[in-house]
Amino acid sequence: MLNRLLKMFPGTGFKSQFLMLALTSLVLVGCATAPDRNDAEAVSEYQEINDPAEPTMRAVFAFNQALDKGILKPVASAYRDVAPEKFRTGAHNFLNNLRTPVIFFNDILQGDFERAIATLVRFLINTTAGIFGFNDTAGDLDLEFHDEDFGQTLAVWNMPEGPYLMLPVFGPSNPRDAIGRVVDFFIDPLNIWAKNADEEWTIPTRTALEAIDFRALHYETIEDLEKSSLDFYAAVRSLYRQRRIDEINNGKVDPSTSVPSIGEFMDDDPAPSENEEISQAN
Amino acid sequence: MIIRRSFVSLFSALIVFSALFLFSDSARSASFEEEATLFVEEMADKAIKKLTDKTAPQDERIERFRTYLNTHFDVESIGEWILGRYWNKATEMEQKEYLNLFEDLIVVSYVDRFASYAGEPLHILKSHAQDEKHVTVFSEIHQKDGKPAVRVNWKVEREDDLIQIIDVVVEGISLRKTLRSDFRSIIRSRHRSISGLLDALREKTAKLRKQTPN
Repeated sequence: MLNRLLKMFPGTGFKSQFLMLALTSLVLVGCATAPDRNDAEAVSEYQEINDPAEPTMRAVFAFNQALDKGILKPVASAYRDVAPEKFRTGAHNFLNNLRTPVIFFNDILQGDFERAIATLVRFLINTTAGIFGFNDTAGDLDLEFHDEDFGQTLAVWNMPEGPYLMLPVFGPSNPRDAIGRVVDFFIDPLNIWAKNADEEWTIPTRTALEAIDFRALHYETIEDLEKSSLDFYAAVRSLYRQRRIDEINNGKVDPSTSVPSIGEFMDDDPAPSENEEISQAN
Repeated sequence: MIIRRSFVSLFSALIVFSALFLFSDSARSASFEEEATLFVEEMADKAIKKLTDKTAPQDERIERFRTYLNTHFDVESIGEWILGRYWNKATEMEQKEYLNLFEDLIVVSYVDRFASYAGEPLHILKSHAQDEKHVTVFSEIHQKDGKPAVRVNWKVEREDDLIQIIDVVVEGISLRKTLRSDFRSIIRSRHRSISGLLDALREKTAKLRKQTPN
């Protein structure tokens, strides 16, 4: 959910160099204080939070929040005021439709041919009958939208997520999702077309529109979470991980693991083992 | 021969007995699934009837929501679960104050949010019993204007004869897991002390109370 916020600037040329620089400096600056080795509880808690560079990540989070308050939030707010809901829904459908090729590739890479066909049929219906994707005609026919990305594909392929990362501009992530983002960028036929046709302006434009769409769509949710949480950073971290697990499992839960008894899990933000993710996926 | 026959009859009696036992057990959890479904339906229904009136003054809305919350949600066990290992490290006084503040936080931060969701129809999809005491009720909230339905799972627990909700999972995001992460991060940053968390809770609820429109 939050990951879409982060597609502001695709990693090309100067921007990707900036990103690499930012990433490198992240690694070099502060790390969370490692716990006392003799305190078993504290050690397991530290491992479960899985955020070794927390102080740095918090600094990046503050930077992102400033960026949001200064630019994205006011723009999204104005968009909500100016554009009627019908238009916003249409624009959202249009952007979803543009994502179709990437979703389709990832459906295939995950071996989910049923969903791949659904994605393809949706594209055909919505691009034609849905007038370039503005109307979700396929959705009205009960062929509903689903998202996929290469970060999810890597998870399905059993790659561990790695430590929590807060990327500048892009927001919450982890090494697996960061790699996924880059791969999705390069396999997207629209980006390939843009480069070949010398229409590269379309790439950042689309990303900016996606960011505004995401921020406007989840406006209240984000405000509510910020308002009611004691530590917004920790709340976002937990939310991002839970949401990613749900996305990786395509919204299916394994009912046998879904109600832990009180106090059974003493952890914080459990980064689920890959086995758990897979057993939930199946 | 006689011995053998009685052995056979004993054996078959055992089978019948265990079959009966198994049957009654599965029947019991099946009926709990139904009970839990009814419970969630009734909860949603009550929310529409009792909580959607936004014209009532703030204090009244808050008190109404508090009663509603305590009837349908096991606030105490949720609060205890969130603290986990820190629960046992707190003194009895701290535990008590924490539970009061936790309830306050939920009440002031959800009083208006819950009411705005409550207006939308809730469709129960299915329910599933994990064990004799726990059922998950899967539902969808349908939004207006053809927006996609929101998946909401209700974790229902039975203790003795009392049925209450212990977690709400919206699109894969568990309310209590998120709160746990939030609260424990505060505890860690404030020298692993419960009193630090209590201070933060006090500040937060006071601030939210001011922001809630009258």
